[in-house]
Amino acid sequence: MAIIERPTDTAPAVYEPPPVTATSSYGYLRRPVETTGWRSWAFTVDHKKIGIMYGVTAMFFFIVGGLEAGLIRWQLAGPDGTILSADKYNQMFTMHATTMVFLFVMPMAAAFANYMIPLQIGARDVAFPRLNALSFWVFLFGGIFLNTSWILGGGADGGWFMYAPNSDTPFSPSNGVDFWALGLQITGIASLVGAVNLIVTCLNMRAPGMSLMRMPIFTWMAMVVQFLLLFAMPVITVALFLLIFQRNYDATFFSVAEGADPLLWQHLFWIFGHPEVYIIVLPSFGIISEVLPVFSKKPLFGYPFVVFSGAAIGFVGWGVWAHHMFASGLGPVSVAVFSVATMAIAVPTGVKIINWTLTMWGGKLAFTTAMLFAVGLIVQFTLGGLSGVTHSVAPSDTQQTDTYYIVAHFHYVIFGGAVLGLFAGMYYWWPKVFGKALSEKWGKWNFWWMIVGMNLTFGPMHIIGLQGQPRRMYVWTEARAGEGFFNLGFWNLVASIGTVVLAIGVLFWMINVWVTHRPGSKIPPAPLDPWDARSLEWMTTSPPKPHNFDRTPTVHALDEVFHRKYEDVGEGDQHDYVQRATLEEIVAEEERNADAHIHLPAPSYWPIVLAFSLPIIAYGVIYTSWLIAAGAAIAIAAMFGWALEPADAEETDFDPPAEPGESTSKELANV
Amino acid sequence: MTATPRRRWSRAALARRTGLVAAVGLLAAGCAQNAPQDTWDPAGENAQKIHDLQWPVFTVAGIVGVIVLSVVGFAIWKFRDRGQPIPEQTHGKPKLEIALTILPALILIGVAIPTVGTLMALNETDDTECIVNVTGQQWWWEFDYPVQDGCGGIDEPIITSGQMVIPADTNVLIRGTSRDVIHSFWIPRLNGKRDMVPGRVHTLRMQANEPGIYAGQCAEFCGLSHANMRMEVAALNDADFEAWKANQLEDYESPAEGTLAAEGEQTFITNCARCHQVDGLRDSDGQLVVSRPDNQVFSGAAPNLTNLMTRNTFAGATWDLITQERRDQVWEADPDEFGDLYLAGVEDEWFNEVDLREWLRNSPAKKPMYADPTRLEETDGLVRGMPYLALSEAQIDQLLAYLLERK
Repeated sequence: MAIIERPTDTAPAVYEPPPVTATSSYGYLRRPVETTGWRSWAFTVDHKKIGIMYGVTAMFFFIVGGLEAGLIRWQLAGPDGTILSADKYNQMFTMHATTMVFLFVMPMAAAFANYMIPLQIGARDVAFPRLNALSFWVFLFGGIFLNTSWILGGGADGGWFMYAPNSDTPFSPSNGVDFWALGLQITGIASLVGAVNLIVTCLNMRAPGMSLMRMPIFTWMAMVVQFLLLFAMPVITVALFLLIFQRNYDATFFSVAEGADPLLWQHLFWIFGHPEVYIIVLPSFGIISEVLPVFSKKPLFGYPFVVFSGAAIGFVGWGVWAHHMFASGLGPVSVAVFSVATMAIAVPTGVKIINWTLTMWGGKLAFTTAMLFAVGLIVQFTLGGLSGVTHSVAPSDTQQTDTYYIVAHFHYVIFGGAVLGLFAGMYYWWPKVFGKALSEKWGKWNFWWMIVGMNLTFGPMHIIGLQGQPRRMYVWTEARAGEGFFNLGFWNLVASIGTVVLAIGVLFWMINVWVTHRPGSKIPPAPLDPWDARSLEWMTTSPPKPHNFDRTPTVHALDEVFHRKYEDVGEGDQHDYVQRATLEEIVAEEERNADAHIHLPAPSYWPIVLAFSLPIIAYGVIYTSWLIAAGAAIAIAAMFGWALEPADAEETDFDPPAEPGESTSKELANV
Repeated sequence: MTATPRRRWSRAALARRTGLVAAVGLLAAGCAQNAPQDTWDPAGENAQKIHDLQWPVFTVAGIVGVIVLSVVGFAIWKFRDRGQPIPEQTHGKPKLEIALTILPALILIGVAIPTVGTLMALNETDDTECIVNVTGQQWWWEFDYPVQDGCGGIDEPIITSGQMVIPADTNVLIRGTSRDVIHSFWIPRLNGKRDMVPGRVHTLRMQANEPGIYAGQCAEFCGLSHANMRMEVAALNDADFEAWKANQLEDYESPAEGTLAAEGEQTFITNCARCHQVDGLRDSDGQLVVSRPDNQVFSGAAPNLTNLMTRNTFAGATWDLITQERRDQVWEADPDEFGDLYLAGVEDEWFNEVDLREWLRNSPAKKPMYADPTRLEETDGLVRGMPYLALSEAQIDQLLAYLLERK
């Protein structure tokens, strides 16, 4: 309940222990209301803490996935590589993709969505705080479960697309694919739960005055993503269940001998898989649509167009899945339909690039690291989008699909589109989240090495692919390498060297975090308004208080914060903006007018307990049914505990007020 | 940061990165030394149709890229903070945006129309002059020529693997499927790829303008040795193709008595013939030896070795049966000389026995195939690919001598 009481006229009365009631007699299961220590993280329902945990975990998996990529490129640096066996190589590219998509980009976007959406819409938390905690823990345990396959017989080896029937037990006898299917099933639950939560948050919890068309653009894009997740995850859930039953319980969904058609898997996978692409990039589109206006000192150009093009992508994204299957023998009419639909989706995507460019046009551009990453996204994503148009042309895609040209394309889209945007977001919001800005000096090293590294790594893959090198080959051979300028040997080597440059770029990011946060760091706290920001999340302290806003803000305009700071004193068509207030003054004003009673959701044990049951059930599916029963028992107990838990913490859950000289972190907050 | 490096970066971006795609295309098209799977070097009318579609699209994409990035680069340079006042807080110009939405839509309509036309043309099957059945399995391709009036007339089925021989300047229709997982048939210089899916038959047009050899590779990830699943198409002129057909259907000849090859025949029957068919082979009782790979191998098939030495490669077209020098001659032959070089097959003087010997010694070590005998419970005891046979060096010598006569 963490009720924050405002100063009252009367002094607090002498403490009397509250009477024990039916709902407060939990004993050891007293609400974990600590505000410090590990308990304050493990049982938190604060969207900000959950967001930070999402981010830390995602960056950890980014490094894991990067190491996997490094091994892949090391193997392919020369012909007939011997760094990895065929088996390990196949596991490596499967797990690289799986890790990067499901354990890095998606949760990193979830980190931003979790942290920023309530702040951007002027809310105190998300709609279902305990569900939010559940999402994170389910994701974390799912990711760990997935990666335990490395020490339990090897990772999945069927490619992240896991085409049937190659994913069936005769072709993949280790448990890797089981870990993959069950692990994604678990992380999928996290995404679904999170999606419902954030959709309700966006639709129901906006501050007074914030109509949908005043909602900050990042929140808009994140909301579109949650809708995509809501409809896409069930499809992959079905597909994964089919696969799990195929492999573990002798089902025949993909058994050709029993009359099944293996293309069923492809359709299910890509009906999920293509919206997934937009799930991956739209959050970053949202991020740079925040960053570009701030550092251009202009509103986002064509905000409604960006919103509607994002929503349009969200719809049309459902009608293009079969462009991953142009070579799979669908028949010319289907291919034609999906080919044209794929070209159509280039239009709303192009609209975004145009709007970002026009946002900068006529602006007052400041090239901070965040801005560099945002501009980097525009450039790199444009290239990825254009190569995408070349293989929306189905006949030429039959030459390009499953070659390195596609690898080049989607890395320009995902690394150039999603990852650069996530880094832009990190540099932009770091002072908001941690109270200290990352170093701009290290940030520029970070940016330039990453951008050069990514072009060295993925640029040559265009050449390699057009020269006919297929993907997913653990070795390439001199016999098929050619000799001229475009020979595979040289460009494979360049790509591998590029990986090192890219890795050094990421290392600079780590150095930057260390330099900023190491014990004894002399970097001062960031000012409240380091970037002259425009949206609501900046209208509070950095880092924000647990309750986000002292007073629920009332919104009058898009870019609310800008309009509170600046006034247009120009006449007619002449504009002249004068700063009327600083953010420090505005925040101080909010503090003076703080709301008297602030209700915050109470922490809970049950989300982490419920999440913990899922990997146990999954191990049970692979190894022994007893574990399924054990996991199910924990799950049921956790659900009962959750359901019976009072909505707010009882007063008895808190410690009595501390005597002078003692300390407690469970004290009822009194101001 | 000063203005200069940033400006250089944006222009470099135009020149290097956006122009890359177009540059690759233009240069690749004219460069003879490129990789044999160059997708920008069509050698048949189907690949040509694709190429006629793709190079304009790449060019348009390149131009659009240059324009967009020029505008971005200009904006970065022009509007950087030089202390100018806070700009007008404009939220957009709907007319401009609608125009800029319609423009790419128009370009894409221009791309869509020829795309659909080419697509339909590439799926035409009415003009077929020759049919070849293609079957993928882990990790090699089998080609069989059914009895037909096409291909100049085939009276008895021909079965081969690794290298598909077709008549040049003839519309060949491939009918393909798979015996296990999904594979993808792809000869870049002749056509795009088509997945070969178990339980389905997919067709793909194939036509080579001139005699020659065209490289290909399985393009759909198909398990452990996906990288070692290649194929080649040898196109022969009509006369040479007739000669090839006749050679394929020649009666079996046992090796001369007392030769190493004759010992090899017995070794073959004992060690190889359970999976590998040699048509016409008879055991010491005079019984025809019929292979039953379906009792041994999970995919149910093993390459037919009746005419192994008419092919230049083995084990999924991954290793050469001919020396490097000979290989270069075959691959770089003029169209009118190619037929003779190819039909000569493998002769003692250019026989590359190193790779075949290593293969017979321990094939799973050369090509990963899950032939681990301890992990066969999921496949009911069937191996995948060729298992380790524990042959002695003497047996290998015999087999090499025997196989060298299979042509």
